[in-house]
Amino acid sequence: MPSLDSRIARWRQIGTLSISRHDFRVEGLLLSAVVALDKLLEFVKTLYIDGFTLLDISTLQAKEGFLITYHFDSINDPGRLALRVLVPTNNPVVPSLNNIFQGAEWHERESTDFFGVRFSGNPNPVPLLLPDDFDGPPPLLKSPESLAPLSALGLFGTIESAEPAFAALIDPKADQG
Amino acid sequence: MDRFNFINPFGVRYQPDTVAGDFYTNNFAKKAESNTIILNLGPQHPSTHGVLRVIVELDGEYVLRAEPVLGYLHRMHEKMGEVKTPWQFLPNMGRVDYLHPIAWNWVHVGAVERLAGITVPERAEYLRVISCELNRVASHLMWWGAFVMDLGGVTPILYAFEEREKINDILQIVSGSRLTISYFRFGGVSADADDRFLRLTAEFVPYLRQRLKMYQALVTDNIILRRRLEKVGPIGVDMCQRYGATGPVLRAAGLNRDTRRDIPYSVYPKFDFNIPTGPVDDCLGRYLVRLAEIEASLSIIEQALESLPAGPILPPKAPKPTFKLPAGESYFAVEGARGQIGLHLISDGGKTPYRVKLRAPGFSNLSLFAEAARGTLLADAIAILGSLDLVIPEVDR
Repeated sequence: MPSLDSRIARWRQIGTLSISRHDFRVEGLLLSAVVALDKLLEFVKTLYIDGFTLLDISTLQAKEGFLITYHFDSINDPGRLALRVLVPTNNPVVPSLNNIFQGAEWHERESTDFFGVRFSGNPNPVPLLLPDDFDGPPPLLKSPESLAPLSALGLFGTIESAEPAFAALIDPKADQG
Repeated sequence: MDRFNFINPFGVRYQPDTVAGDFYTNNFAKKAESNTIILNLGPQHPSTHGVLRVIVELDGEYVLRAEPVLGYLHRMHEKMGEVKTPWQFLPNMGRVDYLHPIAWNWVHVGAVERLAGITVPERAEYLRVISCELNRVASHLMWWGAFVMDLGGVTPILYAFEEREKINDILQIVSGSRLTISYFRFGGVSADADDRFLRLTAEFVPYLRQRLKMYQALVTDNIILRRRLEKVGPIGVDMCQRYGATGPVLRAAGLNRDTRRDIPYSVYPKFDFNIPTGPVDDCLGRYLVRLAEIEASLSIIEQALESLPAGPILPPKAPKPTFKLPAGESYFAVEGARGQIGLHLISDGGKTPYRVKLRAPGFSNLSLFAEAARGTLLADAIAILGSLDLVIPEVDR
């Protein structure tokens, strides 16, 4: 596995919205990056080539929209990385990872069940864990008043670099200023 | 006779809905080829270990396509994690995976301890290791019996249950329960080990070693079992990578990965234990890896018993049920019997966590079944399903 610094350099080259370093002992993560939707698949492809496996897809609803976190782990030596995308609450559509990691299909269907996030290109977009005739709202959606802003959730570790527009969203200090 | 409107000899009207299949069957049938059979396995088929349902498309006895249908045991633990305080959520964890509840106990208390910065006394860490490994042995024994039963051998599960019963008796002494155990507390464990617990555990280790020899002669070396498993359902490194498989499935593919050593937690670095990897990646490889893991767990238990320190089992300022999580995120991963279990905890500083995400290894392991079963005999597909060691409540959460 290339070192963290070279990984950061490569990520910068493709272009991220922000990159964070994490305390592995607490957050179980080495690095995370927030990326633009149209670049997601490019990032995922490089991770596949570097021998990473997709552990899970975790969706989180915040004030700014849905933050979808893809957790990766290297198949040969331990070291978890995360890619994140932020999609708006009113039209959450994310490209499917199914062509690269087939295991993504189920994780994506789970996110659709729980949050209503849609994944374009998922080969079998039917309910996975909820019944097919479930007609309630997605169960993990929060009420607008209980939504927290992203910057309050401590998700971004030590911010290594961030696009100016995005920094205001995730950095509590920038938020106050 | 009208095909869709008749009463059968028992006086029951033909029900087009139930015979033609439900939503999932119809969805699956859309891609079917002509002259094939679509067969539902489950949700109550005995070889599906709980209520898993698999729809298969068959050409004669060969599986063309397979699709697991989940959700029959879905209980929305992640929602409960958001509406309950961490204390109230504790007993849920024993119910996620009823065969290895202690690993799930661990992943929850571990994530909370990391976020809140709670240190665990050393004796409690040792007791956690001992109970978790005993539980892993019980889980593997249960898998072993059920797997051989899937393949048509009914006797071994009766042996496995005898051993498992002894472990349940031991774990009952400290935890008070036998199946959905909730033994861990934030900062330690709920009860200290007494002399009886330590004596029975110490006696159990050599006893099971003796029995494992018999298993080897009775089952593992059995020519019928070998023929059913050898070269059936190869799952290689690439497939594991694409589907996120972990645990014995990944180790049977030849990769030496184990969370207990890779992302060390608790006092595992103090013990010297073997991480078995498979010489082959077929069903037999996964079988052999799990049996070798029983011996590895016994060795850990033995070492932990020898060096068990004295002291408290909870820190002086152990959290009370009313304690509040600080804002932030934490992640804790442990090696469960089925692979890497993970819990991702995000808190905004409120009474209950903002988000709890459970990573179940069985979910990822089962997702590769459709690919692994393609082109195999139906009977072999059942062997592959069994070799994945599924616990459906964990897959469905």
